[in-house]
Amino acid sequence: MSIDTTFRSAGSYRAPYLLENSDAAILRFPFPFPEDTYMYSMNIEPHVKAGEVDSLRRTFDVDEHYVVECQEKARILSEDPKRCIVLPHMQKAEWDFIELAMNSLSEDYPDLFHLSRDGMRWHWINRPLNIDQHFVFGDAGTLPYAPFEFMARQMQGDFTLQDQRDNDLWMDGGMVTSQADWSLKFDLGMSFKQWHAPVPKAGEMGIFDRGLRFLLMLQHGMPVRRLNWTMTINPRLDTSPENFTIWGRDRTVVTDDNAKDLVHLRVELQTLFRLPRSNAILFAVRCYLLPLRDIALVHKWRIRLHRVLRDLDPALSAYKGLDLYRAHAVHYLSQFDNNELTSKGISPDQDIIVHM
Amino acid sequence: MNPVTGYAATISSVDMVAPALRRFVLSCTKGTFPAISPGSHGIFAFGNEHRIWKNAYSIVNRSEDGKTLEIIVRRAEPSRGGSDFLYRHGKPGLNVSVISISNLFPIFRTGRRHLMISAGIGITPFLSYMTEMQKSGMDYALHHYTRPEETSAFKAILSPYDQSRIRVNEGRQNAVSSLSMLLEREPITSHLYVCGPDSFMEWVRQTAAEAGYVTAKVHSERFVSPAGGRVFEVRLARSGKTITVGTDETLLEALENAGIAAPCLCRGGACGMCRVAVIDGRPDHRDHVLTADERDGGNVILTCVSRSLSPTLTLDL
Repeated sequence: MSIDTTFRSAGSYRAPYLLENSDAAILRFPFPFPEDTYMYSMNIEPHVKAGEVDSLRRTFDVDEHYVVECQEKARILSEDPKRCIVLPHMQKAEWDFIELAMNSLSEDYPDLFHLSRDGMRWHWINRPLNIDQHFVFGDAGTLPYAPFEFMARQMQGDFTLQDQRDNDLWMDGGMVTSQADWSLKFDLGMSFKQWHAPVPKAGEMGIFDRGLRFLLMLQHGMPVRRLNWTMTINPRLDTSPENFTIWGRDRTVVTDDNAKDLVHLRVELQTLFRLPRSNAILFAVRCYLLPLRDIALVHKWRIRLHRVLRDLDPALSAYKGLDLYRAHAVHYLSQFDNNELTSKGISPDQDIIVHM
Repeated sequence: MNPVTGYAATISSVDMVAPALRRFVLSCTKGTFPAISPGSHGIFAFGNEHRIWKNAYSIVNRSEDGKTLEIIVRRAEPSRGGSDFLYRHGKPGLNVSVISISNLFPIFRTGRRHLMISAGIGITPFLSYMTEMQKSGMDYALHHYTRPEETSAFKAILSPYDQSRIRVNEGRQNAVSSLSMLLEREPITSHLYVCGPDSFMEWVRQTAAEAGYVTAKVHSERFVSPAGGRVFEVRLARSGKTITVGTDETLLEALENAGIAAPCLCRGGACGMCRVAVIDGRPDHRDHVLTADERDGGNVILTCVSRSLSPTLTLDL
């Protein structure tokens, strides 16, 4: 993105919902299925500045929804300030986060973000959000918010900070406003296996053992990423347990006819970074929402999504909360599936979108 | 940073701390080293036209501007020659690249008080601990044990730190009773950190256990300095290659020299990253990672420190 790109100024992640994706935004969507079937796996790869779709190619992805998403985040935080909690022993990790975020955003998007450093005196400019901040690195009193909160408010997606001790990772801080039905207030202070306890099957498959062992060895400068997915009714970022009474019932109103507009594929681009001062791990969850009608504009994706949803393991379907409407989504997508072979990988295999 | 070769650096100064101890300051050739968490170690690559060593050393300090790192090296015997090479030839200008930096011995940040016990060169991680603990206002104490002939050297190394929190003990003569006493005096919230030779760490852990410390509050870094041994052959099942591991090189080094992309991280038998399946032969396990069952099973080996009891070892590589 550059400053010439227009950020969307209109959009609403709560009723009345409004989320429009440009053709470019659709084609850069991190479609999560490299094959026609889905099961848990250790689908971790190095988070390098390359990938089959454009959204994977920056340290922290910024897209056309940036400004509206940051506004939504600010609104959620004003209604529920405890969406951001950082335990006191994570102070070093907060500054690590500031350094990582400011360095990489200003390097990846020089038109949008600028950082200049003179020893410990830093100057940060965020043009899309009109922020111009001089501060002393390491001195929280020189920022309008605590360091982690200051920066996380200026980024799309959720962030948690994991302390490493006793050969385990502990979720000891974070800002979580666009989550797929989990709560930082509930998970705060939990260990890796504790916060993963609700996930079916993966534990017995040994995925958490291997995942934890891998992450304990994660090295600074060599971040990793994986894609995770679920589905959400309406373009709602904040599908939190705290607000379940607001969004939970939406899952009951899906029909064969409205599924294409209501049902969204929700993809999380999850990235993990070792933070050098604190030895903590930053877990970033960048959320992308695309309605079935937009997925249907990509030939390969609409066929593949049909097959994945149709054949999904019932335990995963239940865990992801899809049972109330999965059949309607499969019904809508089935019209596109002519049994042809699809290519491996997540690339859309097309450069333009033809609107029908 | 290049993900394969790491940070290029050269030695910018050498300080003779004691007859067997050298302090090296390394300057980053381009840019800066990353920030470092206390307890981190680096893998340092250096050598001459005949041989390259890759050794792990604790990072004692990183300058505020990130341009230099400090390590302290003891000439170790017996040794594969890496530390000995640095000791003899580590002069200003020698290229030393920092291949990776990681931390297997972090400060337990939720602890209310931190008690560090070290012996000899085991002091190194605690030097970086104390810098941070001092800055962050943490409650801590260090008890260091040294041979009498190196007392003054360690006192000099420790002189920049808060002397009211440090005690240097000569030899182990009076140490036995004093250690139990000091461990018993600690509040129950204290975390205990130990670093030094294996026998020393075992003694401290034992004394701590007798004083009622739960294992979750006792932390140690059990690095193995890879030692040499008998020559053995390694057959690589996948590539069909056969290589020879010499007396003064490690299995991992022999694999690397043969151009095999073998996994590794700590190079000290502490992290488990270099685990490889053994198809045939009897491994000589020298690491601190494998469980008793894995050792007895003999189906897996950590290539960075372990060797072979049988003349030939067949690996799944």
